[in-house]
Amino acid sequence: MSRLFGFLSLRRDFLWLKILFAILTGLVGAALLHLIIVFSLPQFSQRDAYTRIIAEGESHRFYRLGEQPDRAGLSKEDPMMEVSACSFDISELPVRLTAPNGGVPFWSLGVFDASSNETFSINDRTSADHVLDVVVGTPAQLAALRKSLPRGFAQTVLVETQQTEGYAVLRSFVTHKSVIPVVSKFLDQATCAPFQWRTRG
Amino acid sequence: MFRVPFLVAIALAIAFSGGIWSTRVALDATIGFGAIKLGAWEAFPEAQTENADPYAKSHRANAGKLLYATAEGLSFTAATDDSGARLSGNCAYQLTGQTPSARYWTLFATGPDGRPPAADADLPSSLNSRMVGREPDGSLNITIASRAHSGNWLAIPAQGQFRLTLTLLDTPAAGSSGLIDLAMPAIRRIGCGNV
Repeated sequence: MSRLFGFLSLRRDFLWLKILFAILTGLVGAALLHLIIVFSLPQFSQRDAYTRIIAEGESHRFYRLGEQPDRAGLSKEDPMMEVSACSFDISELPVRLTAPNGGVPFWSLGVFDASSNETFSINDRTSADHVLDVVVGTPAQLAALRKSLPRGFAQTVLVETQQTEGYAVLRSFVTHKSVIPVVSKFLDQATCAPFQWRTRG
Repeated sequence: MFRVPFLVAIALAIAFSGGIWSTRVALDATIGFGAIKLGAWEAFPEAQTENADPYAKSHRANAGKLLYATAEGLSFTAATDDSGARLSGNCAYQLTGQTPSARYWTLFATGPDGRPPAADADLPSSLNSRMVGREPDGSLNITIASRAHSGNWLAIPAQGQFRLTLTLLDTPAAGSSGLIDLAMPAIRRIGCGNV
């Protein structure tokens, strides 16, 4: 009789051991899944900045962001910064980002690739004459552009990138309510159009 | 008889719930590694770059925010005061000292929902470097409270915890990931309740 009970408790010990082993397996699986999600989330995320800017509407134009999240889920992150964003695709033609500076106190431009990595950034102090004039293209496009650079492009900043898809974010600082009209005009006049230049011959 | 399926079910349940839960917590709790920490303030100068760590890339892909590029600026956030206590709308705080060199800066508080205050709010819920008065030595002295104060006053919601965001625009601090002569203003609690 006692041998039988001993045998049963032995079986029970094995069961607990197995449950412990199952829990350990689960924890290892949890750690693996954690790493898999963290590493693969940037690839399949539908909430990243590039997807949201695409959802704003057609590409190659700037969209102003409001204080409340719009249907794409984008909004201003700072009450004193006015922001507009534009998505572009330079597989066919380079994109030219321009805005006439009517006296805004500060502007800055960030150019990002489709994975939201910064490829280029500039602000009014680092640009020529405080004017925004940037052409983003692939190395091949810019090599062709440099060969036949049209007049009036001496001050244009040429940015090379291997990534054909991306987005640009243009910000301007509202130091005081009185500069809101100037800032609004600056952002509304900003262009983000494909750059078609005439080649010789 | 059902022992093996039972064990497999335990392992799978722990793996999936634990994996998803831990990922959510990790992505909510931190923007990644590589933070600059100065007192209560922290900033992530490389979060928008190719060099960001996998957690930072995952966080920014999930949050979908437009981050400041290097030439644009650098955002510092603080969730606690200098003693390490959570910032609470029930208390009043004093922000004193210097910011790292920058052309401009902006300061505002976000509530528990993370939304910034409205730009046309009646109260001074956001400040910038052009608005505030300075001490004779050029340093800052800003009172952060839900009730009006004399001098520089940043209005915060009266209830709940909040975070401060201090954004430096056009700053050399954005290019440095080390702690090179950077100093941020101190956040000191003045008192709680009716102060």
